Amino acid sequence: MSRSFTLYVRAIVAVVAVAVLALGPVTSANAVDYVPISGAGSSWSSNALDQWRRNVEQYGMRVNYASTGSSDGRNQFRSGTIDFAVSEIPYGLRDGSVVDDPPSRPFAYMPIVAGGTAFMYNLSSGGKQIANLRLSGPVIAKIFTGAISEWNDPAIVADNPGIDLPARKIVPVVRSDGSGSTAQFTTWMSKTQASIWDAYCRAAGRSTPCGVTSNYPVIAGKGFIAQPNSQGVAGYVAQAANVGTITYVEYSYALKTGFPVAKVLNSAGYYVEPTASNVAVGLLGAKINTTRGNSYLTQILDGVYANADPRAYPLSSYSYMIIPTSTDAPFTNDKGKTLAAFANYFLCEGQQQAEVLGYSPLPINLVKAGLEQVGLIPGGGETVTNIAKCNNPTFSADGSNTLATKAPMPPACDKKGATQCTTATGGAAGAGSGSGGASGGLGDGSSSGGTGGFGGSGGGFLGIPVGNGPIACNPDTGVCQNVVAEATNIDNRAGWGLPQTVMLLAVALFLMVVFLPPVLVRSIRRGGRSR
Amino acid sequence: MNDDKPRSLKMVSDSGDVVYRTVARTGGIIVLVIMTAIGVFLGFRASQALGEAGLSFFWTQAWEPDANNFGIAAVLIGTFIIALVAVTIALPLSLGTALYISEYAPRGLKQSLITLVDLMAAIPSVVFGLWGFFSLQGNIIDIAKWISRTFGWIPIFAVDGFSDDPLSSDTVFTASSFIAGIVVALMITPIMTSIMREVFSQAPVGEREGALGLGATMWGMIRSVVLPFGKGGIIGGTMLGLGRALGETIAVYMIISPVFSIQPHILQSGASSISSLIALKYGEATTFGMSALMAAGLALFFVTLVVNFGASAIVARSRSGASS
Repeated sequence: MSRSFTLYVRAIVAVVAVAVLALGPVTSANAVDYVPISGAGSSWSSNALDQWRRNVEQYGMRVNYASTGSSDGRNQFRSGTIDFAVSEIPYGLRDGSVVDDPPSRPFAYMPIVAGGTAFMYNLSSGGKQIANLRLSGPVIAKIFTGAISEWNDPAIVADNPGIDLPARKIVPVVRSDGSGSTAQFTTWMSKTQASIWDAYCRAAGRSTPCGVTSNYPVIAGKGFIAQPNSQGVAGYVAQAANVGTITYVEYSYALKTGFPVAKVLNSAGYYVEPTASNVAVGLLGAKINTTRGNSYLTQILDGVYANADPRAYPLSSYSYMIIPTSTDAPFTNDKGKTLAAFANYFLCEGQQQAEVLGYSPLPINLVKAGLEQVGLIPGGGETVTNIAKCNNPTFSADGSNTLATKAPMPPACDKKGATQCTTATGGAAGAGSGSGGASGGLGDGSSSGGTGGFGGSGGGFLGIPVGNGPIACNPDTGVCQNVVAEATNIDNRAGWGLPQTVMLLAVALFLMVVFLPPVLVRSIRRGGRSR
Repeated sequence: MNDDKPRSLKMVSDSGDVVYRTVARTGGIIVLVIMTAIGVFLGFRASQALGEAGLSFFWTQAWEPDANNFGIAAVLIGTFIIALVAVTIALPLSLGTALYISEYAPRGLKQSLITLVDLMAAIPSVVFGLWGFFSLQGNIIDIAKWISRTFGWIPIFAVDGFSDDPLSSDTVFTASSFIAGIVVALMITPIMTSIMREVFSQAPVGEREGALGLGATMWGMIRSVVLPFGKGGIIGGTMLGLGRALGETIAVYMIISPVFSIQPHILQSGASSISSLIALKYGEATTFGMSALMAAGLALFFVTLVVNFGASAIVARSRSGASS
């Protein structure tokens, strides 16, 4: 063996050792040891779950979660390959001719977060992004059944007197996998727009009345696009080239991708956005099943769809975690300890972040009921008892939902009629403000526009946060925002940190893998020849 | 003359030979047994669905197993369309790469290029899928549009609902067999390249030198010696690439918008493939739906088997002929 080879090996060993040292997890002193647990299911609520999972890592909890869709989550929980599932709908619903049987192992439902199924869209007119679209129920149903196929259809124009809608084709983007978002959306359609929905189902070869389904039927040749996962549909709509697309997805995805959502007409005649407070108001109409048994705590949403409060968002709903209540394989008491600690965290502290993430925090009655369910987890230990410390924005002394009572009334320009607000919605609104669009929607900037809509002078038609810097527009997306300088403290660290070191190491390793072997082979050969 | 018989050869095998032969034979047999077991398992699990669907399984386009209306006509053809697009793109790409590495590249660069191509094979397919979905798709639309505008009179390049109206939506060009095919092409290029390169480098030195000595240019030598010699490698590598393209799953799953009808317009949104169908549906399938998926898997298994056997047969035959 030649010397250079030994050197090469030594160099590799050294580099790998350094890399391992540098990358090794910074383990904090854990008071308790937690066994890793894994779950799967809803992508509707995965943005919240992912944030919570990252938050509890500091306590040494490893929670794996695969957002593979609610149907997959329920199936995997039934076959016992995961420790918990997350789903928007419970077991036992009939989907076409198939009934989704509950698993044989004992389980319980635990509400984890509330949210609104939003209609995120990508639409522009005259090179400017449209960000204040409003839609009424029948129009939404007709769009997603192909009955309305142009953006300048008279029905959409009637909803949007202030927008000059382009003569573009509407491209509805639906989920290709079995999904809880689809189930929530089709529940709403079957309850409120039954005739439109059933006609579409019949054309797609399903039996009617169609009812709720997790698999959106697609008729070939209608121009629908089907994509897997919430990430897939939102990512598709968010591509700059895909103008004219609209999809149904949780509000958080619109905030994350920076795209607007349509304001939906509620029973009170107002067009509302699925902000945390509007969802909280909407869900005051939800009926929760309080009979103990297999469907304890599940939701009946008819009252939400018909909620007569002008602030209510009609497509609001809760998302549920399906937890095991016995130690049937693969669950164990040790896993129970992790799951219970995780649940205690997100039912209590975790709810504070719901609003920022694009969800809505659970009200006090569901937090209490959820914590009770935590007690059913085997090996769970004690649950949070002093929920006053949770700082949940919905809590109040008298038990009413603070978030809902404090929710701002929609501005007059959001009322069905000839005027239309010019403020931007969803992710398109909060480009300049810190808390995303969650707060930017309704409260401010409610200049009852309508006159001239937008596309006027200056291009500042979108909801500009308070500030008076110059206005900059992105030529690709048409999103305009106020350029405001804000004093920010950046921790005083030198330019070179761990990430830079790791990056440099990665580049060095890559170059070594490519270039060292040939150089080495030659040097070995040369060494052999000379000897 | 009649007495000329071949002398019978006696073989004295020592223990080393016996051990080696046993190990090699066991390995070979185990591979065969595993393949057969996979086939039997798929067949067994598929029998319920196949029995229910009967022969209509082969010409039904829809995929609604729970409504007892399912078949592989659309998905099987969709699989081939994506694979053919992939091979059409990957063949010239890998042929050029292999020729450059084996004939033109300076010696110092050669090994690095080989490593680079091999590294490309090591990229997980989900990464290719993410790249295809988030990066390639938005940028390839103009090319797809140009092909459709220029060659739209050829049926496979036609796109329904496309007009030169600037307001017409570009989405008809996304999530298509064409885009999925490009991504798959990049995934099969490494294996095709390395097989071709291997065969090219075995082209006999004597004949190469002869050609060059007779005044042939480099390209002339390649055309008259390397390419004819490597024909088997080109065909075999392509067939192996085709076999891999047929089974490619996650990247295709992430890009296409599944449709369950035969969709021969490769530039148009909507495509299908057996493996992505399985990836899409297995998580939420009922028992019967799972059986139907197994039946689709069985079909894919046989198709891939035939393609791969064909490839190895071609490689084996051409190699023995070329070396004579």
